[in-house]
Amino acid sequence: MSELIAFLARHSKWFVFTLLVAISITLLVRNDPYRQHLYLTSAGRLASSAYKGANNVTSYFNLHDINEDLNRQNAQLQAQVAELTHTIEVLREQGYSDTMQVEKDVPQFKFTVAHVISNSVARPFNYITINKGSDDGIRPELGVIDRNGVVGIVSNVGPSSARVISLLNPHFRLSCKLKSTDYFGSLVWDGRRPDQAVLEELPRHTVFEAGDTIVTSGYSSVFPPGIPVGIVLEDDTDHNQNFFALRVRLLTDFTTLGNVQVIENTMSDELKALRAGEENDSKKNPFGN
Amino acid sequence: MTKFVIRYIITLLLLIPAQAIIFNHLVLFDVAVPLVFIYLIVMLPVTIGTNVSMLVAFAAGLLLDVFCDTPGVNALCATVLSFARKPIFHLYVSTDDDLAARPPSSLSMGHTVFMKYLLSMVVAYCTMYFTVEAFQFFNFRLLVLRILASSLYTFILLYALDCISMRMHKD
Repeated sequence: MSELIAFLARHSKWFVFTLLVAISITLLVRNDPYRQHLYLTSAGRLASSAYKGANNVTSYFNLHDINEDLNRQNAQLQAQVAELTHTIEVLREQGYSDTMQVEKDVPQFKFTVAHVISNSVARPFNYITINKGSDDGIRPELGVIDRNGVVGIVSNVGPSSARVISLLNPHFRLSCKLKSTDYFGSLVWDGRRPDQAVLEELPRHTVFEAGDTIVTSGYSSVFPPGIPVGIVLEDDTDHNQNFFALRVRLLTDFTTLGNVQVIENTMSDELKALRAGEENDSKKNPFGN
Repeated sequence: MTKFVIRYIITLLLLIPAQAIIFNHLVLFDVAVPLVFIYLIVMLPVTIGTNVSMLVAFAAGLLLDVFCDTPGVNALCATVLSFARKPIFHLYVSTDDDLAARPPSSLSMGHTVFMKYLLSMVVAYCTMYFTVEAFQFFNFRLLVLRILASSLYTFILLYALDCISMRMHKD
């Protein structure tokens, strides 16, 4: 027995080393962004408190760029308001307003404004931490956008902070379409540059040009359709392949993220239930007869 | 020794948030990331037991992982580096030299020897860190570029940090 204890003591560094390496590798291998323990993420209390403190200082640094973007967006919205006002007037004049039935639907999407307190762009798998959590109605799998376009999707939620899987993370694939033609594909980051991603799985017969706008397709319940995502860069696609993969310049500037909006689809539970029902039906009757 | 422990704890409490909040954002040309947090492993005296140094390095790495959303990456690399620290140190300093009892620095080891030791530690850590991080996402050219650029960037910053710290220590 004493020899065994002496042996263990003599080689203890190997046992400690193996144990610590095993724990680290377990954490590495179980790297599912949706199933991590909250306290092992930046949305945990310790990390989010530190980031909030630092953010109180650093949030002033990008105000110039943010201001310019807001002015641009404001101008676009004013133009849109003017156009819609004109459309309403035209419809009124045509006398449709008396006969049309206005649907009193509940709005499908709710928006919550949040502030980015931590962000990375140089890693192979990037995450963002925001200063709103479950106390503010944030929950996993909600979409996040900023004033320019899509930012990511919520993965872990703490009481007052949440972690977002950035669009600059290969774990996140976004269903997108070409605004001009409605052909859709799947956008994924290839890890090369923080301002570019790749739109994959576009059908071979897709017609496109450099400069075309990419928007969300709306086929998932996370993002509404038509949110800007990026612009097609030069066509460097191999046209012999069955599917195109286009390089896209992202509209969101991830290096200066400040304020973002978390989108909640009030119909997402209903849509999920419908999809689950469809999947069950197809399992029971795979040939659809 | 007590003085060193207090100094070490203060450095740990400053360096980990500084790495997460400041240095992770000082990225050069989208490839070079300064990993100054490894100063915590570099500055440990070699006479400290390997078990203790591995446990300290693992805890510091795991804490940084929590901040950076890189579960296990820094914990693994810091553990391996602290395990390899003694053999790396004795590449440049003989085993019976009394230098081993003091915290490695440019003041205790001399500039040339310390620079060699620091560079070896930095290159070893950057190689492990970027290889582990790029495991699911392999691009060999980018990986080599990241290792070389980050090693150089980290080395310069750590050497500067050590010189400042030693000057303060002397005063």
